[in-house]
Amino acid sequence: MVGPLALAGLVVLLPAAVARVVRKLLRATLLLTLPVATSVLVINVLFFPGGRDVLFQAGPVTATREGLGLAIEVLLRLLVISGAISLFYLTTSAAELTTDLERRGVSPRLAFVANASVQSVPAMLERAAAIIEAQRARGLDTEGGPLARARGIVPIVGPVILGAIGEVEQRTLALEARGFSRPGPRTLLWHPADRPIERAARWLIVAALVALLAARALGWHPA
Amino acid sequence: MIEIRLEALAYVYRGGIRALDGVSLTVPAGQRLALIGQNGSGKTTLVRHLNGILRPTAGRVLLGGEDTARRTVAELARSVGLVYQNPDRQIFGSRVRSEVAFGPRNLRFGTDRLHTAVDAALAATGLTAEADTNPYDLGSSRRKLLALASVLAMETPVLVLDEPTTGQDEPGMAMVAGIVEAASAAGRTVIAISHDMRFVAESFERVVVMRLGRILLDGSPAEVFARRSWEPLQSTFVEPPLAAVVGDRLGLGSTPTDDDLVDAIVRRSPG
Amino acid sequence: MLTFESVTYRHAGGVRPAIDDVSLELGEGEVVGLVGGNGSGKSTLCLIAAGLAPRIVGGTLSGRILIDGEDIAPMPMHELVARVAIGFDDPWTQLSGVTGTVYEEVAFGPANLGMPRDELVSRVDAALSSLAIEQLAARDPAHLSGGQQQLVAIAGLLAMGPRHIVLDEPTAQLDPSGTSLVANAIERLASEGASVLVVEHKTDLIARVAKRLVVLAGGTIVMEGAAAELLADPRLRDLGVREPSAVRLRRRLVEAGLDPVALA
Repeated sequence: MVGPLALAGLVVLLPAAVARVVRKLLRATLLLTLPVATSVLVINVLFFPGGRDVLFQAGPVTATREGLGLAIEVLLRLLVISGAISLFYLTTSAAELTTDLERRGVSPRLAFVANASVQSVPAMLERAAAIIEAQRARGLDTEGGPLARARGIVPIVGPVILGAIGEVEQRTLALEARGFSRPGPRTLLWHPADRPIERAARWLIVAALVALLAARALGWHPA
Repeated sequence: MIEIRLEALAYVYRGGIRALDGVSLTVPAGQRLALIGQNGSGKTTLVRHLNGILRPTAGRVLLGGEDTARRTVAELARSVGLVYQNPDRQIFGSRVRSEVAFGPRNLRFGTDRLHTAVDAALAATGLTAEADTNPYDLGSSRRKLLALASVLAMETPVLVLDEPTTGQDEPGMAMVAGIVEAASAAGRTVIAISHDMRFVAESFERVVVMRLGRILLDGSPAEVFARRSWEPLQSTFVEPPLAAVVGDRLGLGSTPTDDDLVDAIVRRSPG
Repeated sequence: MLTFESVTYRHAGGVRPAIDDVSLELGEGEVVGLVGGNGSGKSTLCLIAAGLAPRIVGGTLSGRILIDGEDIAPMPMHELVARVAIGFDDPWTQLSGVTGTVYEEVAFGPANLGMPRDELVSRVDAALSSLAIEQLAARDPAHLSGGQQQLVAIAGLLAMGPRHIVLDEPTAQLDPSGTSLVANAIERLASEGASVLVVEHKTDLIARVAKRLVVLAGGTIVMEGAAAELLADPRLRDLGVREPSAVRLRRRLVEAGLDPVALA
């Protein structure tokens, strides 16, 4: 439990505080983890095999202290992982990332795809919301029971996929019209600032990773 | 048929943008009302309150005297049919006919009524011959008519159209104008958002101009497009129809449509 | 000069040609309006003019498209885009979606061409100033109005340096203020010597910007001539073209036995 906690503080919360995104980070992380977290908690607490220290019993299920302990451990790990991912998205400008990838010799197409896929997430969510709205306006019941919800899948997922395909076709034409398919390097408009402290931080991260792997290989096990 | 009443309606989007800032409006059953104004003036936000997609930050929305706050979107869909701007945000059927039937089916229309409603909607939008076509084989302007048909078939007492003439050619324009007229003749209320002032002046009896979330002008086309309104209209980038400008130059008073102008000239020059 | 020499084009799997034996010339500094009912082939003609059909969208083409006398068929796409540019109706899908500022967005196309940085900068500056949107340079394209986005998209085309610009319903999704921004931009481009082919349902806009008009029906040019005269042709309505406000008003007056001189 100490391991994930230390990690959460050191590599997620501390940088988030420096970047002043703690509040957004917590929200994003909780939203991201909530569905998985719930099932982790339920399964581990109630169905941990071989737990002895019984917390409570309800019918056929028994909640044990060992189960709870494991659940918390897994939860913390999940939080660290999704926290790190959220931190990346919250603090990294997609444009800077692409430019820097290209500067380091990554193919412009690959850099574009990486960038576009990040940027397209909000657009996709926005489109899905608009589609749900339009279908609800046509009397689709999205608030009813499981059967009603199942009936709503095709009318919502259909336009999401068809719309995405249509948009890709239009974007392809627009990109072709802007010389995107030309082979060879692009002109870079600017170079992202790369301060010594950023460079130092990157090396530190690599060093920490190597050190942790080595420690683990040598049998070190944080409680 | 149903009266719509908005009482001091206000709506603030998450992020703090105040899209509606105290709108009070009563629309009698069967009225044809055009909502105009620059993008971002609150038109779409306003109509999204009519079918309960948005719920007021403050104020009330009453349909037939009853507060919509107590009714779900699915229930309100029986009363208010809203045709969104972009047809591709709703079309999923593999056939034009099944797409149009989706709404009425959700409203649990009986078999006979369903067929009648779908046939009528297809006829009104000129899509009868395309009943078995895949919607994606239609061009974008006909997909827009299909979206209109799919809401028309729900036979709601209130029909709301968000920019129905976008991308339509001359026959498409005439079709949309005909639908507005027929719906109104059948006693349905029609509310349309539009940037096409000729369509607005000719197909609607009342024009509400919005600016920054408030009602700027409200009246008949003759009132809203009269000389004294040009300055406020200009503040939200609305230009009056040509007939209104010409009528004013000829000193004929307010003549928002070509017919008004011709009538005014005939009246002034006897013989 | 952009020239169509008896161009016939079929969509992949299409039985009838979408464009049928079209010959057309677009001269220096000329704004040509392209009108026709839905399904008349306007958008397809635009894709052909820009070299996107058949090479990107497929289909088969016979005849030739020439730019300043040079056949475009063997030209690589990235060379072609620097000579003829195409803009579409949806401002959003035209933006690259990967840039954080208008300046970078306008630079996206020319940067793909790999020119020296100094030239890139001067091209972007020139494109922004020729559409009078310098003040938007630092803004996020995603947070602009549709009209502003459309101007950014057109600036992005200009920065590629083409002398020919094809615009397929550039104002379809815009409100009146956005529409007038685009109309101003078209006039400005023409005054700088570019030739513009513009498809629009809004014939009031065509009447304002275009000197010459081409009318398409069933994939063929059925009328061609001076815009001011052709737009007044009563046959246009039968071809599905919206009647410009002034033309319709004049017709109404004449039909009522009145003197249309009042309109002057």
